[in-house]
Amino acid sequence: MTGRKRLAGSPDLSSSGLSRRGFLGGATVGVGGVLAADMRAVNGLRAEEIASELRRGEKHVILLWLAGGASQLETWDPKPGAKNGGPFGAISTNVAGIEVSELLPQAAQRMHQTAIIRSLNTKIADHGRGADLMERGRLDDPGLKYPDLGAVVARELGRLESTVPDYVSLYTSTEGRRKGTSGFLGARYAPLFLAEQMSPPNSALHESLSLDQHRDRAALRDLLSKRFTADRRNSTVGSHNSAYQRVQGMMASAELFNVEQEPADVRARYGPTQFGEQCLIARRLVEAGVPFVKVARAWWDSHGQNFETHMELCADLDHCMSALLDDLQERGLLEKTLVITLGEFGRTPTINASLGRDHFASAWSCSLSGMGIRGGVVHGATEPEGQTVADGEVSAGDLFATILSAVGIDFTHEYMVGARPTPLADFGSTPIETVLA
Amino acid sequence: MNPDCHSDPRLRTTSVFPVVNYLFTTLVSRAADNVLKPWPDAAFENFFSFRPFVVTTLLLGLLCIARQSKADEPVAVASNESAPQQSLLVDELARQIDIAVDEQNAASGVPVVEQADADVILRRTTLDLAGRIPTAREREWYLQLPAEQRRQLLVDRLLGLPDFDFHLRNSLDELLLPNRPNDGEFREYLLTAVQAQRSWSQMFQEMMLAAPAEGPEKGAAQFLKSRVRELDDLTNDTAVMFFGVNISCAKCHDHPLVSDWKQDHYYGMQAFFNRTFSSKKNELLEKPFGSVRFKTTEGEDRDAALMFLTGAVVADQTPEYSDEERKQLDEKIRNLEQKDDAETVPVSFSPRRALIDAALADQEQLYLARNIVNRTWERLLGTGIVDPPDQMHSGNPASHPQLLRSLAEDLVAHNYDLRRLIRGIVLSQAYSRSGRWTSESVPPGSQTFAVGASRAMTPRQLAASLMVAARSAESWPTVEETTANPEEWLKRRTDLENQANGWMREFEQPGEDFQIAVDEALFFSNSERVQNDLLRDGGDRIVGAVKAAETPEQAAEILWAVINSRSPDENEQQIVRDWISGEDEQQRLTQVQSLVWALLAGAEFRFNY
Repeated sequence: MTGRKRLAGSPDLSSSGLSRRGFLGGATVGVGGVLAADMRAVNGLRAEEIASELRRGEKHVILLWLAGGASQLETWDPKPGAKNGGPFGAISTNVAGIEVSELLPQAAQRMHQTAIIRSLNTKIADHGRGADLMERGRLDDPGLKYPDLGAVVARELGRLESTVPDYVSLYTSTEGRRKGTSGFLGARYAPLFLAEQMSPPNSALHESLSLDQHRDRAALRDLLSKRFTADRRNSTVGSHNSAYQRVQGMMASAELFNVEQEPADVRARYGPTQFGEQCLIARRLVEAGVPFVKVARAWWDSHGQNFETHMELCADLDHCMSALLDDLQERGLLEKTLVITLGEFGRTPTINASLGRDHFASAWSCSLSGMGIRGGVVHGATEPEGQTVADGEVSAGDLFATILSAVGIDFTHEYMVGARPTPLADFGSTPIETVLA
Repeated sequence: MNPDCHSDPRLRTTSVFPVVNYLFTTLVSRAADNVLKPWPDAAFENFFSFRPFVVTTLLLGLLCIARQSKADEPVAVASNESAPQQSLLVDELARQIDIAVDEQNAASGVPVVEQADADVILRRTTLDLAGRIPTAREREWYLQLPAEQRRQLLVDRLLGLPDFDFHLRNSLDELLLPNRPNDGEFREYLLTAVQAQRSWSQMFQEMMLAAPAEGPEKGAAQFLKSRVRELDDLTNDTAVMFFGVNISCAKCHDHPLVSDWKQDHYYGMQAFFNRTFSSKKNELLEKPFGSVRFKTTEGEDRDAALMFLTGAVVADQTPEYSDEERKQLDEKIRNLEQKDDAETVPVSFSPRRALIDAALADQEQLYLARNIVNRTWERLLGTGIVDPPDQMHSGNPASHPQLLRSLAEDLVAHNYDLRRLIRGIVLSQAYSRSGRWTSESVPPGSQTFAVGASRAMTPRQLAASLMVAARSAESWPTVEETTANPEEWLKRRTDLENQANGWMREFEQPGEDFQIAVDEALFFSNSERVQNDLLRDGGDRIVGAVKAAETPEQAAEILWAVINSRSPDENEQQIVRDWISGEDEQQRLTQVQSLVWALLAGAEFRFNY
């Protein structure tokens, strides 16, 4: 209790009555205490684990979630001239031989950073279960709730003692709003889900406290908890203190959600739309070390007026995605960040009576850009009318394996859930080597 | 009982002594216990046949008595919590538990931690039986009781409080409907059943029959109703939650790790549920016919028998229906599914009724009883005798198979009385060990039950405990007052339960390898609710009481008694002295609030240890 002596000899402190940090200096739990929260630390970390621990926080995934299901024909797999190809043409890109919809002109000029997958066959064409499948790479089994991609990436790439959130999910629309789930990985890896407001809940200092008082109180908590934690080797007990160690960092990271801190020219690049601002927030989060950010854009569910819907939404996607790729590239972050565009399914090649396209999960597309991806590549193909996959069929599990491989996660690694070995990507999944760098 | 035996330095030199002492005192106390009652022949036989080393133990034990000075003291009196054999004297089940656990630890040389102190035992037992921390007044009452009686008095008091019913209801709710933490109908049913002291087998029947009902009984159907859309959930959740068996792996193939579970078992269980459907009126009904057909891994199409987990097949007594009759019945079922006023369909054979009969007829494996014993044990000791608790099969043996078996048999023999089981467990010494492990060596595994577990509180336990701790000691009634006026306490406790309901959403239900989320720490650190409610100033609040203390020492006593259910140590006294300085009113308030906050958000408060 050296701190106590310091207070006794510090008349200034007692007269101010406010800052007791000196008193409690050295009271905060160090890295050792934080690491003790990890189950692996109970048996001692091996050298390679320490090394991998240090590398954590350096790889990121940004998922641009196209909620409701974007049409592959108006994005990555155009079929101008086909019977149901629609009114829009295809344009060439900056990679010879690859064409995309004319609704994506900016993305077309960044095709060297992007791989397109045109052969998803995921079979489930209702919103709820389709989203379950594409978020988790498989459907839940009885008695077993799987974590979604964000939770797995947070678990595998996040730092235990991270001062920023591991998994942030931004979604403002009410249609198709889903919080995301950490399944059997538990609350530690649940998303920080922002829907109503753009700053994390309980991240602002209460009006009745000064920052010093807040910190002193936290240090007092640490000090008074020591007697209890000292003789208890239990990862849950450890996680309690770890959670409190992260509070200050999480409060500081609330500023990451404030785009007004960005220079005007940067904000202008992303544009004034909500999706643009959230893409900018995603870049700020990634820059600060957040492993996984999901930005959802709704509502692509164009059962009627498919072409008007896509004119509007594709313009937003094209602009924001391109601004994001450029910004990441200029900051040296693109080589550490995988950017995905994906939804719960695609849309029917046939056009219905309302000039809409309906749900379709048999032959659709997604894109992968940046980290671990071989740019300028198209994997798979659909047959000329787009009704079925003609080549290189990809399942949800295969896509999961590909995404995890791109950011250096061993997708065959197994979590033990009770007595049940559960690989990160579903049993039998195969990564798509052609799109991996 | 020879409590001074340990103090004899000559005896300490021999390493087998503690074991011998334990075994001997066990036998003596069993004998003493039996002497106090009529000694039936069966008990006598059991006493002398229950372990082969009885004679050796007796000889060694007599040697011990001969060599110590106070051998003639009464044998059946325990002096305090840490006296080794107290639990053995008061409860038959507690005695069985301690014999089984201690014998196994002694045989494998597992070091056993000492008994927890009185404060820890009071807090742990109250959290486990009343679903909240003890009030400071309950602690005063407990500490003044004669040491040799207080655990029993505490447990019997708690079993009689409405708190026990609320908490057992909450625990069963968390087990059975984990994904619907606020299903009002189900919770009302469970409370009614628990208050009426219904047996577990009766509750099982009520939940499986799920007969249309009104009033509080209506909620019994919620276990199945909430799963009726997914036949796999009906099948597997029933197997997991009532029988401790997760057979989901056997859906697609015979279980790869467990030879016990075949596809026949999975689809056999499914056959008990595949006729279950929900009517438009939201009643859970059964169709008069219907069977389960599945494809084996060899590609063979097979009709599933009504097969219980033991392999016992129930004869399907569904009458033969002609195609025409089937068509008509199908039409009626469609009507029931679509119309409020549809005509009911008579059912002459109920597969769910058959499942109940099969489960209750299972005297061999005792799935129903073993599961609830193991779940209750896990809830009270942190780890199941079978762990994980949904993996009861030959590939995952119990740590103490005989004990599990005998507790299950005892449950069946006593009409599936959960109170008797819970009482036995919490009166055992295995339950009341300290959770501190001070040695450098790796602590014994959790299934040795040699060290007390530190369990994260459930959301409802934590919320109710926060409500208790945020008030001053005097704002809660004394034990005498609650005894004299049980209606008044029921009202207070109901209010507390309702208040806790409003807070529990802020916390996560602990599961396997539970990690506390940063959201919780942020909630405690910055939310309006914590600052404005838990830390509110006022005469009946903890903040007001600490503020009014005349000395820092008194302030520390109040803080620790109310929040941490113990007295502060010298170090903690000193921290409070240093923290509270004699400044103006506002500064003092802030300092007191910080202390209250630091303890409410502290690790010690968060855990049931």
